Parts: sequence; C-alpha cells; structure tokens
Amino acid sequence: MQRTSGFFISLLFILTCSFIRVKAQDTIPMPLKINVGLEVSGPIKYFSDKNIQNTEAYFSIDLDEKRSAFFSAGHLNYEYSQNNYTYLNKGSFVRIGMDFNMLKPDKSLGKYWLGIGLRYGLSRFNSSTPTLYKLNYWGTTTYSLPNKTYWGHFVEVSPGVRAEIFKYFSIGWSVSLRMLLYTGTGKDLRPVYFPGFGNGTKTVSTAMSYYIVLNIPYKRINAIIKKEAPEENDDTNDKGTESSTQQGNSIRH
Amino acid sequence: MRKFISGSLLIIVSGIFILLSSCTTGSCFEETECYVKASFYNNTTRTPPDSLTLYGLNKDSILYKHAVSIQPALIPLNASTDSCTFVLMINGVTDTIEFFYTNYPHLISKECGYTFYHHLDTIIPLNQFHSIKRIEYINQTITNLNAENIRIFY
Repeated sequence: MQRTSGFFISLLFILTCSFIRVKAQDTIPMPLKINVGLEVSGPIKYFSDKNIQNTEAYFSIDLDEKRSAFFSAGHLNYEYSQNNYTYLNKGSFVRIGMDFNMLKPDKSLGKYWLGIGLRYGLSRFNSSTPTLYKLNYWGTTTYSLPNKTYWGHFVEVSPGVRAEIFKYFSIGWSVSLRMLLYTGTGKDLRPVYFPGFGNGTKTVSTAMSYYIVLNIPYKRINAIIKKEAPEENDDTNDKGTESSTQQGNSIRH
Repeated sequence: MRKFISGSLLIIVSGIFILLSSCTTGSCFEETECYVKASFYNNTTRTPPDSLTLYGLNKDSILYKHAVSIQPALIPLNASTDSCTFVLMINGVTDTIEFFYTNYPHLISKECGYTFYHHLDTIIPLNQFHSIKRIEYINQTITNLNAENIRIFY
C-alpha cells in the first residue's frame, strides 16, 4: 500500500514538473543610457540657405533595452519670398514621445539602435505676411497679414538608425513622417512653414534629421535574450538544438 | 562586431543618399485665379445664349465678346473693393449688374502663394434688369475650385 501511494505521489510530482516548464533565460549585460543629441542638418542648411535657421536638440533616457522616453526642443526662424508674397515665421517647438529599438539586445549591445519613434509635437510660432500682391482683371491688389501668435499640434512617426562610433558618441539619422492635427490659423491662412512640422500647407510632411549624440550610461541591466527557433534540419533532435543554442548564446557572452 | 562597425558606415552612406534624393524643387500646378462661375440659361428653353458680351464697367478690356455657348462664364471680382460692376450683353440686350461681396486671402500652397476668395452677398442691377429674369445662387463662396456659383436666367 505504501509502495503504491509512493508510486502515485512520484508520478504526480513528475507530471506537475512536466507542466511547469522552467525556462532557463539567457541574459546579456546591457547599459541603459541618457542620450543627448544635436540635429546637425539645420545649421548646415543655414550656410546654403540663410532663410531657414533651424536648431534642434533632443534628450532621451533608456527605460529598458527596448524603450526610451524622448523629448526634443528646437527653434525656427524662417523667411520665404517668391514673386507675389513674403512670409515670415519664428517660433519654438517641443516633441515628446517614445522610441522603440527593434534590434535584439544581443545585436544592439547598447550601441546600435534601429527602430521607430512615436511622438507628439507642439509648436508656438509667430507668423506674418508683410507683402502680398495679387494681379487680376481689375489690377493689382496689395495686402498684408499682421504678425500673430499661433499654436500648432502634430504627431510624428520617425523610423531611424543610430550607431556608436566612439565611446559615448553616436551618429544617426531618422526620417520623420508628420501629420498635422491643428494649426490654429484656420484653413485659409495655413502656415507656409512652421517650427517642428515643416510645410503647413500640407496635412502630411516629411523630413530628414541627422544627429550627433552623446550617450551617458547610468545603469546596467541584464537584458533577456530570446531563444532562437530551432532549425528545420534539427527537428529530429530538439533537445540537442536547444542545448546548442544555449551554448551559442553563452559563447556570445 | 566588425560587421556592426561597417554597419555604422552604411548608416552614414545611406543617410547621405537619402539626403540627396530628398532634394526636390517646387512648382505651382494649381489654379490660382478665383472667378464667379456663372451659367446662363434661357428662362423657358434652358439653352445658353447665342451671344454673350461681358466686361467690367469703365474697363477697356472685354472678357467675352459675342461669345457663343460659354458655360460657365468666368467673372473676376475686384479683391481691392467690396463691389464691382459688369456690363452684360445677352443676345444684344444690355444689363449692368453689380456684385457685392467680401474678400479674404487664402493660401493655396507654398509654391502658388495667396489668392483672394470671396463671399458673394448679392447681385443687383444698376438700374433695372432688361434681359435678365432672375439669378439663382448655387454656391456663394467664390474659390479657385471648378464649381458653379450662380445661374443667370434671361
């Protein structure tokens, strides 16, 4: 009787253990960083075109191996002239959001970033049209729109890449796809160009940004590396594949 | 590791490539003029006039001179004033009509710049209508869009 109950207890224990799959997780030490970036294409463009003076910097802090909280701020001084009008815009903007690194921790190593940023942008600007000429059948109409302050709102999706080139320094670029939510100017006098967004006459604007980034590590974490899927050839020997994958990971350590 | 360092070079090169390919020059391809689009109909047969002459009062240049089957006629308003007067001759009978409206600037695009939209309040004869029987307002916002604004029945 004791033997029988002992057998069943052992069986129950084995079955319970088989249901609770204890996964051995591989980890990799990874630095979390505070990143301070400067957008460099704005000042470079200013040398060739004195009508657009855009300066922008960002601050981001890694929350874990995937996510970073993002904040950027900038200033724009814009002037545009063509045959029938002159337009001026001067103001500042902020963007807040989250960056998501799509690289796995064992690939990014805290040095490489390939991902996407999702942001909300708010812009405060003064715009004016000092001169406006319109010629038609009745002659030339001259007009001007006085300087007025507006608040613009937009959202942004920004995929990009960054790579560490020296210790504590990265470079990278991102493509920004922005969607205008509101300009406050009304549909007839949409801003020709406004800070943080770009061409305000269109609902969607695109831009390229180039960054030089200072990376300051503030914490080290052990990032979990997911196991790679077993290769088709090794289907017959699952256990062997698992152990070899783990071995591979530990070699990478 | 070496693979990723060469990856950094790829990042720089691809960035420069995108920068160069993103340089585009803008041109204006949109309609920049705003007209009152007026259709003319015979009050009974609903046919357009055989002859239409139209010009601004005290203006030398004529917009339409004995034009046949113009549908719609494009009538430019004066953006510097709140009213303007046109001389209209339908099948040889002359009317002088005055447009009352308000003007407001509208930005078409960065490339095309501004134009003036109008809100049409009313159209009245300078003395009295001769050939015109009635005027129907279809859309009183005068824009650069190709949409009928008024129908003039003669």
